[in-house]
Amino acid sequence: MVQFSETQMAKVNEIIARYPEGKQKSALLPLLHLAQDSFGGWLSAETMDYVAELLQITPIEVYEVATFYSMYNTKPVGKYLFEVCQTGPCMLNGSDNIIDYIGKTLGIKPGETTTDGLFTLKTVECLGACGYAPMMQLGKHYREHLTKEKVDAIIAECRTAVAANN
Amino acid sequence: MGRKLLLEKAHVEGIRSFEVYRREGGYRSVEKALKTMSPEEIVEEVKKSGLRGRGGAGFPAGMKWSFIAKPEGVPRHLVCNADESEPGTFKDRYLMEFIPHLLIEGLIVSSFALGSNATYIYIRGEYAWIPDILEQAIAEAKANGFLGKNILGTGFDCEIYVQRGAGAYICGEETALIESLEGKRGNPRIKPPFPAIKGVWGRPTVVNNVETLASVVPIINEGGEEYAKIGVGKSTGTKLISACGNINKPGVFEIDMTISVEEFIYSDEYCGGIANGKRLKACIPGGSSVPILPANLLLKTAKGETRYMNYESLSDGGFATGSMMGSGGFIVLDEDQCVVRNTYSLARFYRHESCGQCSPCREGTGWMEKLLYRLEKGEGKSSDIDLLWDIQRKIEGNTICPLGDAAAWPVAAAIRHFRDEFEWHVSHAAEAQTRNFGLAHYADPIHVPA
Repeated sequence: MVQFSETQMAKVNEIIARYPEGKQKSALLPLLHLAQDSFGGWLSAETMDYVAELLQITPIEVYEVATFYSMYNTKPVGKYLFEVCQTGPCMLNGSDNIIDYIGKTLGIKPGETTTDGLFTLKTVECLGACGYAPMMQLGKHYREHLTKEKVDAIIAECRTAVAANN
Repeated sequence: MGRKLLLEKAHVEGIRSFEVYRREGGYRSVEKALKTMSPEEIVEEVKKSGLRGRGGAGFPAGMKWSFIAKPEGVPRHLVCNADESEPGTFKDRYLMEFIPHLLIEGLIVSSFALGSNATYIYIRGEYAWIPDILEQAIAEAKANGFLGKNILGTGFDCEIYVQRGAGAYICGEETALIESLEGKRGNPRIKPPFPAIKGVWGRPTVVNNVETLASVVPIINEGGEEYAKIGVGKSTGTKLISACGNINKPGVFEIDMTISVEEFIYSDEYCGGIANGKRLKACIPGGSSVPILPANLLLKTAKGETRYMNYESLSDGGFATGSMMGSGGFIVLDEDQCVVRNTYSLARFYRHESCGQCSPCREGTGWMEKLLYRLEKGEGKSSDIDLLWDIQRKIEGNTICPLGDAAAWPVAAAIRHFRDEFEWHVSHAAEAQTRNFGLAHYADPIHVPA
């Protein structure tokens, strides 16, 4: 069942308190981020309904927002989501080659997840790191000045982290 | 070397902490403004400074502030636009990451000037680590009496909250940002009413860019008139430029708007020249939305005069032969780059980011992307180029917000200046798949009519 912990609920209430009374819907974007991070990296219908209930808004108000913004995943994704920028400035610095290389190395196309559920490759539009191109987002942080060697190292780093946790 | 007003202390060790920032002279503007000035006087100083909005539109900031309505008993809000998403632009990120207290300081003074007791920083969701940095700075400012209740004993209360977006370029448009802040899809609102009258939660609201609000700090410290002495004409103060593409030293530079474009590209102090010893082909000087210029029109105006890195000079010649300062996202293309391909990449971006509200933008951006894809893949027809021109004209000016214009301009400028490269993709379709058009005549000296 989808439910925030007590600590998370304290955070939820703190977020809602940032907005004027009766305007709790304003907390929707931050709460969806929190929910996605807490419940498996994506937003299921159950999760969205739960957020709607917390904010006392209708489920459709949550669905329409969740499907509008590119950072919310409405389908399950791999444990490691590689979001590689493909826009103009990154393209000028070879992002297409990086996307191809990640795809070949992992045996997936953009939008797909490896069969072991570890990696998802997603192409994204400009992330504001144009001077440090090519780049991708991995979790909370950016990985910049990507090369094939760096991609190999990042994949190895993820695999090591998984092995250490098993 | 020009004066630095924003980034001068950005690399002092420990400047992210309140203690070091304060020791380096930080928060003086808050003391001066709250203790010795009235809100009206602050607005006056900002007007005198000539500061223009640094997000892209370049609208005078002081004038924007003076529009805010003050109905009795209705709270007002300042919202900081940190949704930096214009391709080529990464200056606000730099400022927030390296010297967060400068933004917080600017926000406190600006909140006082506008009468905002609850101020919001709306930051793009992908900058996921930066809210932690900002919230730390906010907590420190609060612990030291510069935020919260009764700031410095003046009776002024102010809280600053950070809200993350979730991946939508459109939320950089101020009314879409307001919608998003209210927990909705980022669909821009029809104006009027303007946010200054009816903004977030129907209350009077001012939305300003990060760099604009940070610039309020030196304006208050030095006075608007002193600030206006820096720069030239209506390009006062300093501007952050984020430079990227095929250059030796990509990064964020603070310039005082008197340097030439040539100096900016080739001087070691800035971009350090074109990477790998190649030649300059083209440049998009103000973020992906502004017109692309071939090398010859970039370095000199159509009249053969030197082009400078400021609002007036970059737009000299209008869209026929000039471009715009925009957000300061400076994208450089070397001789090996394909303008058709670059335009396709940007068209894909705008199709992806169109909110879908207005049909010219929703349908037009997708159509332009398809045509450009076809041309780039060598499957285009000559008439596709005319069709592209026709579509972009029908988008421009026919949408609620400027995203339509922003999608139309790059296509228009690419065809205007690089039409022969587009036609070559049709006439030499197979060859275009094996090599690029190259520099061609794009760097040749301009013939100036006598």
